[in-house]
Amino acid sequence: MSMVVKNELRVCLLSVKYNIMREMLNKVTFLTNILFMALNNATFIVQWVILFSLREDIGGYAIQDVMLLWGLAASAFGLSHILFARVFSLPELIINGKLDAYLVLPKNVLLSVLTSATSTSAIGDFLYGLIILCVFSFSIGKFFLFLLFSITGAVIYTAFALLMGSLSFWFVRSELFGSHMVSSMISFGTYPDGIFKGMVKFLLYLVIPIGMAIYQPVHIMISFDAGKLLVVLGYTFLLSAAAVFVFYRGLRRYSSSSLMGAKV
Amino acid sequence: MNVIEAENLSKTFRVKQKEKGMKGSLKAILHPRTESVQAVDRISFTVKEGEMLAFIGPNGAGKSTTIKMLTGILYPDGGAVEVLGINPAKRRKQLAYKIGTVFGQKEQLWTHLTPYDNFRFFGAIYDLSDKEAETRIQELSDIFELDAFINTPVRNLSLGQRIRCELVASLIHKPQVLFLDEPTIGLDPVVKENIRSLIKQMNRELHTTIFLTSHDIGDIEKLCKRIIIVNNGRLVLDDSMEHLKYHYLNKKIVELKLQEDAPLPSTEGITILKRKGSHAKLEIDTSVIKINDALHHIDAEHVEDINISNIPLENIIMEIYKSEGRELAVL
Repeated sequence: MSMVVKNELRVCLLSVKYNIMREMLNKVTFLTNILFMALNNATFIVQWVILFSLREDIGGYAIQDVMLLWGLAASAFGLSHILFARVFSLPELIINGKLDAYLVLPKNVLLSVLTSATSTSAIGDFLYGLIILCVFSFSIGKFFLFLLFSITGAVIYTAFALLMGSLSFWFVRSELFGSHMVSSMISFGTYPDGIFKGMVKFLLYLVIPIGMAIYQPVHIMISFDAGKLLVVLGYTFLLSAAAVFVFYRGLRRYSSSSLMGAKV
Repeated sequence: MNVIEAENLSKTFRVKQKEKGMKGSLKAILHPRTESVQAVDRISFTVKEGEMLAFIGPNGAGKSTTIKMLTGILYPDGGAVEVLGINPAKRRKQLAYKIGTVFGQKEQLWTHLTPYDNFRFFGAIYDLSDKEAETRIQELSDIFELDAFINTPVRNLSLGQRIRCELVASLIHKPQVLFLDEPTIGLDPVVKENIRSLIKQMNRELHTTIFLTSHDIGDIEKLCKRIIIVNNGRLVLDDSMEHLKYHYLNKKIVELKLQEDAPLPSTEGITILKRKGSHAKLEIDTSVIKINDALHHIDAEHVEDINISNIPLENIIMEIYKSEGRELAVL
């Protein structure tokens, strides 16, 4: 069994390595993509500095808390797009019959699909998050928690995108709904949860899983709580299990296609 | 020994139906309507170890759906299928170690990598050790003559070179059965011939069973000893190529160059297909009249040149597609 896991991981790592090699074909584009994504994110610091010059507290967050929130959102989003970028185009693979290439290989279909693409600019997002943490609220404990929550956040992003993408096995044109849901997760992840009340807060914790991907981890980093940490880890595991279950249920309905295509 | 056994294999797709125009679109939202399309309808066949089989049919006949069920891509709705004793729907990964696939229309190689790096990647996919992969790459590189371009990125290769690399990538793990779906599509005649001889060599030297689908009659004629024809999801013919050619082929084409006003024979079994000036084309039905008797009806004194040929295999297959195997005796 351990040999099977080892071989699966070996192929996944090779796949990620080759994806990054592909992105590095043009060095200038590769580096500018990373740099400009980090700069693009940095422009929002100005916006928040102006807002905090008007008020001391926004939704219960101080400026360094908002920066921590931004940093975690960027790193989790970045990690998800570095390792599992293909999940965000899963509906296209399902609709155009492009899962065939993965189904004829003796490896885990889901892992093979998820790791078959990467996004260069996401490296910029991931690094931006780490820089923000170092500049605004660095401590050894926070650093390791930040890394852990970047991973759980990336897994939650990926699992949610997988759930939404898998809808295409059942519903035609559901990719629009799915991509709106995933985008809304990214948008809400950059605002303090204290500004949301009632039904919206309920949605952010139970329908769009940003509460467990970003808000709770930020609360834990500000004031450590082992119970909350276990809840986040448990939620990450359950959501991932649900997403994997739905993907494989959907795969039984996969009808392939005769469209011509190429792996580029 | 049978490597493939399919019995009453069936697959149905649900297809959305919509009436024309905007009104139809609105109606489809309120009252969505779907229709069942029987893509594969109770197909049964077996394939023996080492066989080279052509599995053909017109577009939409059910060929690709059948191949996808044999390789574990699609789940069958009915019937039973085993490839190398494995049920593809239940043990897809285990089967994948033993079979190879080449889809001429769908590329499986990473285009920014060299063929060598691609083969190493496929080696890892099939759990080969570095040493095993290295030996296998060298072996296949010699057979497929890849030395000149094994270190050139795939995106810079010609289509023929790329298809050779696709074949090698599919053979890296020594598959017992190779599924080829349109392997020579888009290739020029010289490269096609080259690929065909490599496939033959592979079958001869590595004893790989070949399951081929192609619309190219040349592929079928030059590679396969057995042919299965499907149409509208049903199996309409399962026969040896030799039998198909010599037992169903009971018509000959005679092309004549005659003196200007020479008469043409008019008797039962001879049909004049075309007459233009001194050139004439006749069709002789050998089930009605023997070929030498037919030639006696042609006035040899007026003949300047003569050519006798079989009806092309392409025409026979087209007739079978049209008749769905019901009227093969007519051919």
